[in-house]
Amino acid sequence: MCHTSMQRLACLAVWGAGALFTAAASAQEVYKIGLVSPLSGANARYGAFANKGANLAAKEINAAGGVMGKKIEFVTGDSQCVPAEGVSATKRMISFDKLPIIIGDICSSVTLAMQPLAEEAGVLLVNAASSNPTITYKAGVGGFKWTFRNYPTDEGRAAIVLEHAVKSRGLKNFAVLSVDSDYGRGAINFTKKYLPRYPEAKILSEDYYKESETDFRPVLSKIKNSGAQAIIMYGQADTTPIVARQMLETGLAGKVVLVGNGEFNTAKTIAAAPSVMNGSIEAAAWLPEWTSARSQKFVEDYKKAYAGEMPNNHAYTHWETTHLVAAAIKSANSLKAEDVRNALAKLKYDSAMGSVTFDDHNQAVLPMVLLEVADGKPVIKSAIAAKVDYPKQ
Amino acid sequence: MANFIFEQIINGVITGSMYALVAAGMTMIFGVLRAINFAHGEYYMLGTFAAWLVISKLEVPYVVAIVLGVAIAALIAAIIGRLVMQRLVGSPFQAGVLATIGISLILQNAVILAFGGGYKVFEGGWIEPIEFFGIGMAQQRIVLIVAAIAIFAGLEWMVRKTRMGKAIRAVSQNIECCQVNGIDVESVVRRTFLLGTALAALSGILTAPVNVSVYGGMGESITLKTFAVIVMGGMGNVRGTLLAGMLLGVVESLVSGLIGLQYRDSVGFIALLLMLMLRPHGLFSQKARF
Repeated sequence: MCHTSMQRLACLAVWGAGALFTAAASAQEVYKIGLVSPLSGANARYGAFANKGANLAAKEINAAGGVMGKKIEFVTGDSQCVPAEGVSATKRMISFDKLPIIIGDICSSVTLAMQPLAEEAGVLLVNAASSNPTITYKAGVGGFKWTFRNYPTDEGRAAIVLEHAVKSRGLKNFAVLSVDSDYGRGAINFTKKYLPRYPEAKILSEDYYKESETDFRPVLSKIKNSGAQAIIMYGQADTTPIVARQMLETGLAGKVVLVGNGEFNTAKTIAAAPSVMNGSIEAAAWLPEWTSARSQKFVEDYKKAYAGEMPNNHAYTHWETTHLVAAAIKSANSLKAEDVRNALAKLKYDSAMGSVTFDDHNQAVLPMVLLEVADGKPVIKSAIAAKVDYPKQ
Repeated sequence: MANFIFEQIINGVITGSMYALVAAGMTMIFGVLRAINFAHGEYYMLGTFAAWLVISKLEVPYVVAIVLGVAIAALIAAIIGRLVMQRLVGSPFQAGVLATIGISLILQNAVILAFGGGYKVFEGGWIEPIEFFGIGMAQQRIVLIVAAIAIFAGLEWMVRKTRMGKAIRAVSQNIECCQVNGIDVESVVRRTFLLGTALAALSGILTAPVNVSVYGGMGESITLKTFAVIVMGGMGNVRGTLLAGMLLGVVESLVSGLIGLQYRDSVGFIALLLMLMLRPHGLFSQKARF
């Protein structure tokens, strides 16, 4: 290789640069954590928020000295919200990057596919944003020892939303229009589980939409004719404005309200059709209007870091979960996955939403917000921590 | 019930107009090239994206955005037409499949790279709801139906009466004879491609105000539906495409209204399978042309 004088000079330069690089790296040792989220496809916006939130937390943790003297750095993977893509990103993190901890995914279908991989490899999987209950039915005493979830489940959400819709708002006739995924269908199954508690309430029709669906008129015509008072929708945030605008077109504004979850309360969604969104009921893990000091400080810091952009729910949960992992590392006083896992199970953590502990299914017990949209703005009605009834095995 | 069925048929005609507009271009391109343009949905996406871009960055009115959006998509199509599509004349069909799938991937990912993978909200258009035979709908949808009918009438006239149309028909029938008679086949292919992709772009911009969201992968499902439409209409048959597009739209609406939205996409695929099995030359042709 390095024979002629010119080549020798070039080789020397390369070695020199290499040596410099290693020196710089060792002086500032990093602790790498995996972050799997959808960075392209229909849910890319969620992934972008998640990454920004997690990186903000890492910056804050690193500024305060890092974890065990090391700086946190994320290795990112794109799941596209597709289980097969999420699995290959996770496998890469486990076999090539040898990461002890992975945070992910947002989409429940992907998280469900990641669980067995983490279990087999003995890698700590901390979920910050998937809400399908099965994930923690199968965790802790349910089987997967390496999965933890710091996010409320659809089961709790479905119960809270239904109770508020029927008891406080007096709604009786419901139509279902949810996304055709583990999340959308799961949430509806739990709504049905709690429906018998209210004999006056019934579901008149049930439809599920594909992620790329843009034409809701046929279903909205049907709902209009069925006499439903509310649409139970557990959907994608990006689809909500489309549905809202087509509800306006078909004359459903003010007659039928949306109930469920899918960023009903953000300015972007409300702006698409304010007369439709007014009166809608949503249960969310967090929202920027939440008034705790820690939450307000996060919103302020986030906006400062990202050119005034308002954080969403996923930005918050990934920010908080990164801090939670750092807290677990600190309490374990170790960077080993197993020690961190044991510490996490016993941790009592003060989040912006309130106190967080994990139950024997590794599911976080934490409050979620119930809100309504009124006059184009979200109004917080209450914050409730739902206790999950695990099915008998 | 009768009202409900009527409403669903109207819903279907609206969706069908969009399918037909996109498919008209694809079927004409198939006619002159004997190649399925698997990137066709991407020109639908490019047009919509370009219109979104000029509306959100230059704040031009929607009408200007229609013109600029189609122009930008056509410019990109002109480059691709010259670099790729005209070379497919006389090449085996596998070359066309690979080339257009490749173009589709490049265009989709270039847009995602440039503008990010997230959904954008399309502002603009006439989205105020009005009553139309007792059915509430955005004005934009009426614009779409009228535009589809006008464009198909124009296409029919162009194909029958103009020199360009006659050249397109000639090339569709026999490329060697055209070359012998001094018709510039490559130029006809280029111009047909440009026209077809411009129609796809126009259709994207006309539907964007009611579909609201704009994103890099939005053309993919359109390509698949369009494929079903052109097979039903008879490959290369412009008039058949209009009827087939409307038919697919109406059946989809009835299926999603009466059975369930989750079964909607199965309509196109089942139709495609049945057509290929039973009538591969299309619903409206007497015999196979190709």
